[in-house]
Amino acid sequence: MRLHRIHPGIDQASIRRHPARLLRAAAIAVLLILTLLPLYWIVVTSLKTAREVILPIPTFFPRTVTVENYRAVLDAGVLRNFANSLITAGLSTVISIVLGFTGAYALTRYRFPLRFNTLFLVWVLVVKILPPMVLSVPLYELFSSAGLLNRLSGLALVYQVYTLPYALWILVGFLKGVPKELEEAAQIDGAGPGATLVRIILPLSAGGVTATAIFSAIMAWDEFLFALLFLRRPSMLTLPLRIANYITEYETEWGRLMAIGVLSSIPLLLLTNFTYKRLSEGFTASLK
Amino acid sequence: MVAPTVGVVAFLTVYPFVTVFSNSLFEYDYIAGTRTFVALDNYRSIVSDPQFVRSVVNTTLFVALSTSSQTIAGLVLALLYYERFRGRRIATTITAFPMMLSTMVVSAAWRTLFHFDIGPLNVILQRIGLGRVGWLINPDIALLSIVVVDLWQWTPFVFIMLQAALRTIPREYLEAARIDGNGTIGVVSRIVVPLLGPHLLTVALLRTIDTFRLFAKVYALTGGGPGNATETISYYIYREAYRYFNLGRAGAASVLAFGVIALVAAVYIPRLLKEHP
Amino acid sequence: MKRVVLAICGLAIVAVSLWARGVEESGTEESITLTIAGRDGAYGEAMEFATALYREQNPNVEFEILTLSGSALFEQTVVDLRSGAGSYDVILIDDPNAPQYMAAGWLADLDEMYAQRGVSLDSDFIGPAVGVGRFPAGDGTLYALPHVGNVALFAYRTDLFEEYGLAPPDRWEQVAAAAEVLAQNEPEVTPVLFRGSKGNPIVTGFLPILWAFGGDVLNAEGEVVLDSPESLAALEFFLRLSRFAPEGVANYQSAQVRDALYNGSGAIAIEVWPGWIANINNPDESAVVDQMQIRAHPGQVRGSSPMIGIWLAAIPESSRNKDAAFDFLTFLTSEETQRRIAREVGVPPTRVSVHQDPELQEMYFWYPAQLDGLQNGVARPRTDRWSEIESNLGEYLQLALIGEISAREAIAQADEQIRDIVD
Repeated sequence: MRLHRIHPGIDQASIRRHPARLLRAAAIAVLLILTLLPLYWIVVTSLKTAREVILPIPTFFPRTVTVENYRAVLDAGVLRNFANSLITAGLSTVISIVLGFTGAYALTRYRFPLRFNTLFLVWVLVVKILPPMVLSVPLYELFSSAGLLNRLSGLALVYQVYTLPYALWILVGFLKGVPKELEEAAQIDGAGPGATLVRIILPLSAGGVTATAIFSAIMAWDEFLFALLFLRRPSMLTLPLRIANYITEYETEWGRLMAIGVLSSIPLLLLTNFTYKRLSEGFTASLK
Repeated sequence: MVAPTVGVVAFLTVYPFVTVFSNSLFEYDYIAGTRTFVALDNYRSIVSDPQFVRSVVNTTLFVALSTSSQTIAGLVLALLYYERFRGRRIATTITAFPMMLSTMVVSAAWRTLFHFDIGPLNVILQRIGLGRVGWLINPDIALLSIVVVDLWQWTPFVFIMLQAALRTIPREYLEAARIDGNGTIGVVSRIVVPLLGPHLLTVALLRTIDTFRLFAKVYALTGGGPGNATETISYYIYREAYRYFNLGRAGAASVLAFGVIALVAAVYIPRLLKEHP
Repeated sequence: MKRVVLAICGLAIVAVSLWARGVEESGTEESITLTIAGRDGAYGEAMEFATALYREQNPNVEFEILTLSGSALFEQTVVDLRSGAGSYDVILIDDPNAPQYMAAGWLADLDEMYAQRGVSLDSDFIGPAVGVGRFPAGDGTLYALPHVGNVALFAYRTDLFEEYGLAPPDRWEQVAAAAEVLAQNEPEVTPVLFRGSKGNPIVTGFLPILWAFGGDVLNAEGEVVLDSPESLAALEFFLRLSRFAPEGVANYQSAQVRDALYNGSGAIAIEVWPGWIANINNPDESAVVDQMQIRAHPGQVRGSSPMIGIWLAAIPESSRNKDAAFDFLTFLTSEETQRRIAREVGVPPTRVSVHQDPELQEMYFWYPAQLDGLQNGVARPRTDRWSEIESNLGEYLQLALIGEISAREAIAQADEQIRDIVD
């Protein structure tokens, strides 16, 4: 592998033939295959018949392509789980943005006594680091007595354990970059604090808000532990729970399992490029 | 304006944390609803519980192996993608796919890939004359198999972070090193790694925090077994709390887990505070 | 960026329309939704089938059925019942765990509900099956009705045994000898099958051997008596048999045992439950039609003592639909429903009359053995700590199975742990 072309004068053909470049191409190809094979396996298994799935020698190409698995899981009400996941992720994202944005704004604009700002942000970081299992028992009791179990709204609320620390930290970073002069100008023009926030600050930190939204949504979509503990009613289950139940219930009904896998992955795969850009920009920004 | 946010954070974290700490000082049978103050007995008893010790060892191993392998693999990927080539955009997107899948989908897929009798991995191994491997059923291998799954899923994350970090190194540095007669390995070890040092540490810390929580993959792949070869701290707490309903012991294990992660926090938090001054 | 916004909008529309549909569905007047926490596999199918039958007569009742593995069912119902969250209207309970639910007062008193309606429990139910639904067991208050009448049985391939001149095993020693012979002569067949997963599966597989060798976990007074020479001999024998089991046996659940029996790759199953083997003589599903004998376990130093395992159906005290749940429960356990479940799904009944149905006896040749086992069988110890005991014993059995510790260590350490639990 060559990190840099040292001799710009050499003709392109010889560089192309250079063994190091070939090596790099081969390495990339192998890594891409390693990435793609399990994905291919998921898709291809979801298209096989139940009989073909449990053949002693698995087939690389399905002998008969069938959408039977998709039909079966849709009939079994997977759309309901899909909707539950979407609603929970959406709600949890909205809560994170609203609380994260207002909280971050206050923390960057006002100095609270007793170094509250720093202490609060440090505590939020501690929470971000903590394994969520540690808090699960008291949270279960708390939510149970508040009647928030078996509710998607309750789940969206408990997901703030993951998403709110994240939102606060990203948005604090963004809001620090928004100059105070703009707000002062708006206030002189007669805008109230609410209007200033919505009309001036929000547009200027739109990048941070979108990034927060996407990541909160992804976290909520993936979440398993609290969903496992807080949702008991079948009609409330989110997709990861549905998949977990499928894994233990039908040891070898892989076709259906993978069909649910494909269905639940589509929305996220659409976001790949966006996530890639945001992660990379976010990290680059934090490096400056 | 900050009040609702502080309120939610306090509701979700401060109260539970205090409760967990106080539970850990009681013998608390959730089913019977009895609470007896026992001071530090729970701590003493779990520290001497071989299953807890095993879960700590497993978690440590998992964190160390996953974090290091992902950091190295992510760095290699970032270096491979350093120079422009045709198809780099699409290749990058494909490389990022695994981290977009939800953990349960990834676990389900690998559970079938690892299947002892009819999983493709073992069938291939058998074809080429190597025996079958008990990916998830051999106690010496099962934890490594989970490391592999995590590696597959999360290397893309490290890759993206390090790719961004690599862009901050001026190309001239590498050029100069190259002219000084360094080979690829020399350039990487003498220039790239030292310059990326702090970023490598940040990424490794992020992965440490995430791998320390390991639960869903264990739940879906092995259920902590075989034996307790893949039981992690989170899984141990889960079992004590939700299968045996010993909230005191679960609390003590939680507080100890918090202690361990506090050590990580001691490195991580000052760094983050510096990044967001 | 635009694509992202489009994708999000699209998903939002999907979510809202799905949600709206859900709201519409649940908006019918006077409809009641009963939530059932049930088992997966064949038990799940049986429940699905029974609820569909029930809805033919009671279209206003909707069902939500949770299908869970045994351990997940236990964990989820206990947490829910303890917190009084009231998520469930009907729950299934594995009989050894029943005392825990009943002692805690989580279940509705069915004697009282029968009395309110001026009816009483009919006497067609098999005695011991109803007995485990009472607290104290046998003659106490009725808290649960027997839904599935399981008794652990033993299965082996008659064609293979005949081929090698092996006698039907009456002692475990003969089982080991037969496995040895099969291992040498039948490379394509796995001699011994059992469930090696930790927790309940491996314990239920081991208990018949433990009992036959004269060992036990608890004695009649509820004291821990596991650490004995008899138990050690039983475990050593179990480990000896496991050498003839598939390599992956430590992860085997009922599905793997059942698959291996059906496709003819297994010769002896040291533990089968009637619910698994309903189609063993159905040529569409089974490769071993009329080649499988299913009967009571062998003995060793003691005669065989069949282990019963009843799936009980109960109504949580916290349910908000107790009356509707009671109506469904009596339907579920009625003679007609049991007959149809047995015929269509193959889940074993808990009534004498259904066992004696000639048509069913024709379909399932082991019904007489099953009825006998249920009437004279042994239940697992009645203690409200059984789930914890089983879980611990299961850990150590599996550690011994995978060779992490010796049989002696497993028995000694499990004994010590169980003492901690019982005290």
